[in-house]
Amino acid sequence: MLSYRKYFGVIATYTALADLRAGPMNFAVPTVVVRKKNKRSRRDAVTLATEIYDPFAFAAGDDPFPIYRKLRDDYPLYHNRKWNFFALSRYDDVAVAVRDFRTFSSQFGTSLETLKEQVPVLINCDPPDHTRLRHLIAPLFTPGQVQGLEATVREYAQALLEPVREGAEFDIIADFAAKLPMAIICRLLGFRQEDEDMLREWTDLCVHREEGVFEMPEEGMQATLKLYGYFEKELAARASSPRNDIVQKLADAEKAGSLTREEVLGYLYILSIAGNETTTKLIGNMAWQFDRVPGAYSEARRSGDLWGQAIEEAMRFDGPTHMMARTTTRDVELHGGTIPAGAKVALLYMSGNRDERKYKAPDRFDIARNPRDHLGFGGGLHACLGAALARLEARVAWEELSKMMSEFDIDTSGVKRVQSPQVRGFTSLPLRFAR
Amino acid sequence: MPKVLFEPEGEATIEVDALEDMTLMEAALMGGVPHILASCGGICSCATCHVVIADEWADLIGKANEEESEMLDTVASRRPHSRLGCQVKLANAHDGVRVIVPGES
Ligand code: HEM
Repeated sequence: MLSYRKYFGVIATYTALADLRAGPMNFAVPTVVVRKKNKRSRRDAVTLATEIYDPFAFAAGDDPFPIYRKLRDDYPLYHNRKWNFFALSRYDDVAVAVRDFRTFSSQFGTSLETLKEQVPVLINCDPPDHTRLRHLIAPLFTPGQVQGLEATVREYAQALLEPVREGAEFDIIADFAAKLPMAIICRLLGFRQEDEDMLREWTDLCVHREEGVFEMPEEGMQATLKLYGYFEKELAARASSPRNDIVQKLADAEKAGSLTREEVLGYLYILSIAGNETTTKLIGNMAWQFDRVPGAYSEARRSGDLWGQAIEEAMRFDGPTHMMARTTTRDVELHGGTIPAGAKVALLYMSGNRDERKYKAPDRFDIARNPRDHLGFGGGLHACLGAALARLEARVAWEELSKMMSEFDIDTSGVKRVQSPQVRGFTSLPLRFAR
Repeated sequence: MPKVLFEPEGEATIEVDALEDMTLMEAALMGGVPHILASCGGICSCATCHVVIADEWADLIGKANEEESEMLDTVASRRPHSRLGCQVKLANAHDGVRVIVPGES
């Protein structure tokens, strides 16, 4: 029998990856031990800064960039007292933290709330568990490997656009971008195409949060259990007739003793969910930038081979994942202050990407820039496993969209943003287009 | 647990006790080895973990496959024994391996 308790770690893990619509949290505030000698420097780093950056104040999600700038300029080591976490906002600081996994650990969760229980899930563990889990699947996600999926991605993209092609308007999120990534990951994992809608319904329920309530709502719990039930059945099916897919690969690893059943389920869960929301948001955020920046869309469309560059610049300028958290394993001295051991630290990837110390004219969306060193997919050990796949999906999506639309604008009356401390993008983005 | 000697050019050697099954890239991050940025986390898509295997270890470590080699072509400082650290999995037989880290990767 599946129990909530058993899977709590995995459920919370999802929250860590792309928590959506989480309201103000019911926080288990970690105890921060402040040593006396550090007291003054820590106060210097924090006193004035409280409340500047509050990831749970969703209204700021409309435009968090002025807040990030203030952090970078005035409070490069910021401490939020309300939720008791630190934040790093400059490119160099985030880039160092993301690489120094021994000091900035993922194993206590990568969202700001403390995980209560934990099964080892890739994104929330450190070496050696991380090493073992990641190496198992990483070879399947290299650019060369995912390239083989291009024709499939294109077929799906074309099929999704078929019903809207002859019209003049559609919701690029609901009608297109929300569906494409799920279809592709199902294909990779080895789930049946006819199950896709059902699985998407469940994964959507898993990520849905009620305003003002942190915990996963009852429907989310139910959906999670349904997903696990589905995974168990898929695993059982492969025990009798093996197939060539990721489920099989994980099942084989379990048989060989290198994964536990819990780890297999956790892996399937994270892969089912990790890339959906974010890739959806990337496609939508690109539409937003194309609409906002004169000439960008027509230039990319005319040239035909600038989509890759446009994706990199969109990942830098308006990437979906704004922040991931770490926990310090020792005291860290920085910018005249101290992050004590055991503290939560928010790594502000999207602030680093707008750091004028790193990029020239960072607040300009410029597809000629082609930055390959942005933090949109994180970096270091935990850098996005699905980055090559996300790039492929976004490129093919825009190639197909641009065949359909010679130009478009956004119906601003229907625009809705997701409410989340970690992910920024649209849940609804209606476009009017000319063929 | 193989020991790896990273030799960043012009800087002091850094000794890292790699954990089981780590790649050279992961071991380098563990040791805070300079110039190893590891932007993509090991999916062979960035070449920011470029290293050069010392001559006496090159045969044992082996050569880059085609995909890795194409990635290495983007690196200005590519040499005959260049590898992407993320594609070299360490085993006990590699204990003491010497790895040169070129200034820009
Ligand atoms: C534009 C789309 C995407 C964005 C913005 C994105 C962003 C990220 C970021 C920032 C991280 C690092 C987390 C950290 O620092 O703690 C990450 C990790 C991860 N992503 Fe993505 N992602 C995207 C698409 C995908 C896709 C399509 C997949 C599908 C497989 C995926 C699977 C993962 C996994 C499994 C991890 C954990 C890796 C690890 O901990 O070693 N992502 N992603």
